[in-house]
Amino acid sequence: MNHDIIFNLALAFTFISLAIFIANKLKFSSIPLLILAGMLTGPHAPDLGGISLALVYQTESMDLLARLGVLLMLFYLGLEFSAGKLAAAGSSLVKGGTVYVGLNFARGLAFGWLFFHSWPEAFVVAGITGISSSAIITKLLVELKRTANPETEFILGIMVFEDVFLAVYLSVLTGLLFSGGNLAAREIVPGVVLIFAFVVFIIACGRRIGAALEPRLPAKSAESFTVVVFTLLLLTAVLVETLHIAEAIGALLLGLVMAETVHARRVIQLVSPMRDLFGAVFFFSFGLDIDYRLFGDALYLTLAAVLLTVAGNVVTGLLASWLAGYKSKRGFNVAFTIIARGEFAVIVASLAVTAGASPVLPAFAALYVLVLAFISPVLAKNAPSFYRGYTRLLASLPRPGGRTHSAG
Amino acid sequence: MSIIKEAELPGLGKKFEISLDNGDRVAVVIHDEGMREVYHFPAGEDDPLSSVTMTDQEARQVGSIISGSFYQPRLLEKLETAVADLHIEWLQVEIGSAIAGKSIGELGLRKNHGIIVIAVIEDIKKGRKGKTLINPGPSYVFTPGHTIVAAGLQEKMRQFEGLLTREK
Repeated sequence: MNHDIIFNLALAFTFISLAIFIANKLKFSSIPLLILAGMLTGPHAPDLGGISLALVYQTESMDLLARLGVLLMLFYLGLEFSAGKLAAAGSSLVKGGTVYVGLNFARGLAFGWLFFHSWPEAFVVAGITGISSSAIITKLLVELKRTANPETEFILGIMVFEDVFLAVYLSVLTGLLFSGGNLAAREIVPGVVLIFAFVVFIIACGRRIGAALEPRLPAKSAESFTVVVFTLLLLTAVLVETLHIAEAIGALLLGLVMAETVHARRVIQLVSPMRDLFGAVFFFSFGLDIDYRLFGDALYLTLAAVLLTVAGNVVTGLLASWLAGYKSKRGFNVAFTIIARGEFAVIVASLAVTAGASPVLPAFAALYVLVLAFISPVLAKNAPSFYRGYTRLLASLPRPGGRTHSAG
Repeated sequence: MSIIKEAELPGLGKKFEISLDNGDRVAVVIHDEGMREVYHFPAGEDDPLSSVTMTDQEARQVGSIISGSFYQPRLLEKLETAVADLHIEWLQVEIGSAIAGKSIGELGLRKNHGIIVIAVIEDIKKGRKGKTLINPGPSYVFTPGHTIVAAGLQEKMRQFEGLLTREK
């Protein structure tokens, strides 16, 4: 069937705009709605009374835009949540962040192993369920008017922490996935270690590389600046690909390096509209590939994962904020806010599926993000009432010494 | 002076927290997109009492009003434009001011200082409403607590203001 590329793209963007419009009207995260829009209008769309809703085709051009979307999203992440900011945030954050990310990840790994009995899949599940969505969480904080609260610094600090962790995680993940399925530890380990070392090296030397890069950027002309930044992004993607590292990591690392230059602000302003545009295509195109008929297989997995995520996140969040010195009410605000999952879960799932991991994973990621998108704003909003419930519970429990603890 | 704390909010912008002398805290969040949020935390409270969100332009307007560079009494706006250098001000006679106890005639206010007293508002005491003297004569004696409505050139007004405030 010969269909016009532009027509297809126009259709896709019509649905993308519609999804984002609805998301804004409902004050809902746009990511799950974009995936839904892709599912409902793509090749696997349902038939309504004999009329197929399959309007949009997954074309090569769409694929290209989606890939650019991933690159730009990770580039932006690196720019905004850079390692330099992590170092500035201090040791309490490092302590809390390590505990939070470590425990969450271990939980995801155990959960994934239980369901798939395979380490690469378990590793993917851990990535999907372990890392919060900075986009959704910052939006939530603004909506709930908590941006000036002291614990918000800690929440955003965790986002930065997760971002650096993300670079390391992705490096191990691609090592695992692209080993071609043969999982003899002897063959994977050197590759994984090499990539891991490379990523850690770039993160550690980010400031120095940034300083070397800085005077070479044509900062005066807006046109050449835009073009050079974009070229750098693509070249980095190609370069790391030849080193058998996923291009997404290249983009993230470039972001981390660029964040250390004086141009960081400007690059962020330059990238964010492109990221919004192509990122939306990525989520939509992710939806195009999902057959909702597969949801049956993913349903129990999703529900179990959601329950575990919420429960585990509350516990680890409370523990991490307690370690960082944010107690009682502040800790509850932290724990109930960082539950949102989004762009990262989807990116990991799409990476996994291109490497030939279990086909259930995209459906699982989509459902999981969708369900959490419904739950997490409610949880974040009601964090103070959860805290009140907790203090009331404490007060009603008789203490061994006969004293009752009064709510402070 | 109040203490200003600065904090980076990755993905959002920057936060400035100002502790006021009365114990209240004001937090200003400047978003990367230009939006401003202002929060008021009462003394000892962890949760903000109120907040406002402003666009970049609104924030600049409000900011210039707060900083004092925008202020013009509404009533005098027209006058100000008609006679650019003429200033009319409400000034209080402070206790221990250099001219307290002296009369307008004694000082030769118009001749020596270039100041015209338009009106005097006597202070409000124990529920009694303050009396207003329009165009007081040369016999009027400057009394601490009274409010003087005076007109003059900017330069002269500044000197007159100095006379009314307490001497060191």
